[in-house]
Amino acid sequence: MKRQIPLLIVIILGFIFAIHTFVPHKASADFYDWYQTWMKAISPFMVLLGIMSLFMVNTAKIRRKVPNWQYSVVTLLSLIVTGAIGFIWGTQEGTPFMWTFKNIQLPMGATMFSLLAFYIASAAYKAFRARSLEATVLLAAAIIVMLGQVPIGMAISKWIPEVSNWILNVPNLAAKRGIALGVGLGMTATSLKILLGIERTYLGGGE
Amino acid sequence: MANEKKNFFDRMQALDRRYIYLVVALAIILPLIIPFNSKTYVTEPAENVYKKIDSFVSPETNLGRRDRAVLLVFNHDASTMAELFPMEVSILRHCFQRKIPVFTICFLPTAKPLMDYALQTAKEDFNVQSGIDYVNFGFKPWALFTPIVLGMGDDIAKAVETDDEGRIVENLEIMKEIKNYNEMNLVVDFAASAAVVRWITYARSRFGANVAAGVTAVMAADNYPYLQTGQLVGMLAGLKGAAEYEKLVDVFAMHRVKENGVEKIVSRNYSKEVLKDSWIKLSDIKNTSYKMARLGMNAQTIAHIMIIVFIVLGNIGYFVNKKRDAKK
Repeated sequence: MKRQIPLLIVIILGFIFAIHTFVPHKASADFYDWYQTWMKAISPFMVLLGIMSLFMVNTAKIRRKVPNWQYSVVTLLSLIVTGAIGFIWGTQEGTPFMWTFKNIQLPMGATMFSLLAFYIASAAYKAFRARSLEATVLLAAAIIVMLGQVPIGMAISKWIPEVSNWILNVPNLAAKRGIALGVGLGMTATSLKILLGIERTYLGGGE
Repeated sequence: MANEKKNFFDRMQALDRRYIYLVVALAIILPLIIPFNSKTYVTEPAENVYKKIDSFVSPETNLGRRDRAVLLVFNHDASTMAELFPMEVSILRHCFQRKIPVFTICFLPTAKPLMDYALQTAKEDFNVQSGIDYVNFGFKPWALFTPIVLGMGDDIAKAVETDDEGRIVENLEIMKEIKNYNEMNLVVDFAASAAVVRWITYARSRFGANVAAGVTAVMAADNYPYLQTGQLVGMLAGLKGAAEYEKLVDVFAMHRVKENGVEKIVSRNYSKEVLKDSWIKLSDIKNTSYKMARLGMNAQTIAHIMIIVFIVLGNIGYFVNKKRDAKK
């Protein structure tokens, strides 16, 4: 029963939503309105579930003193402090919450992403070698696109941005479209397998 | 081999990566500290976003129509702020100057402060009022993304219910002539992910809404198929796209003229000829927030050159060593 009931819910609702997409009948629209109201009511519980899960996982790490358990303390403290100052003083401009965001969250987030520039430069120097014809083509394309993305590319020659755009609009687009078609077909097949009850790994249990 | 004397290229091949990091850091920091003027070339996808928003301006009044609006979706966190924040501020400035009604919304908790920050930054120089000229729908949980996107196809006010200040959206003045995607005819999704595809799937395919993307440079390549098919009306790609939009806003929406020695802003319509001959000196723009992307492009230019130099040096070393090894 523990597996059959969730499976039944997924199959029935899956078919109902598939039918709703293709049948613009009033009953179908009314059902969707009813579903939306339920979704709005349920969504806060998802946040609650997420917070509970975060607490359980991190308190367990602290209790067991697993390697790097100190980071779990920082995670929980950050969650409590940020939540508390948001509840007490609000989240508008000029509040401690906004100060925390601008002075802690914002620079930390920007730092994480900006590290990419250093890794790309280092990787380009160490690994980008014209070892074969394919690697040489990739290398030339990378240099043209990099120059095409900055004003100096246009200053050197008007052809650089033109060729850069061609690379993005023709070979890149062809590859992306191929990948998208493959992903789309895969998603359709997996959705059908879930709807028909063939694919059950999402239920867990290691079957 | 151990006793063999290492030449310049050997040493360059084994260069400690910390030196590379140092050079990259300097290449990025110095142009930001010492700004210089560089020309921004505007590409068609950025032009199309600008023209689409500007098409909501009434030719009679030269101000935004009250039955047209733009929805800005903030779908990213602070890590990608450097690329996306300048484009958000530019589009908001464009809408505020042209009096085009704007809606903002986010589905990620980490995007909410960024959305507030962008609104605060953009409205500094404009006399705009929440509920009349713009409305911030605030943060809505991700679980409600699909119901809200689909619900907006029927009735925006019903789908979002309340705004960020807890007001009933239906009662706001801005909503008087705006019901669904027929009026809110452009959605601009700012994302560092493939989130924009969901707007194409639901809002574009089902309701015919125009969708544009403001994405990080890394994600831009993924969106080219949708640009070619016309499912995206335009795209701002990374810092370059943001710089292009900043320039478009300065050249057209925020066009400055001097009358009797007094400088004032007189918006003008988009024109390719005007754009071709335009040259904006960054030092003329006093507010740094309005030229952030163009300043960043200076750093990006130097960084790209440095990376290309590294690649060329690495390859010279590789071929010199290969030739030497072949001789042995």
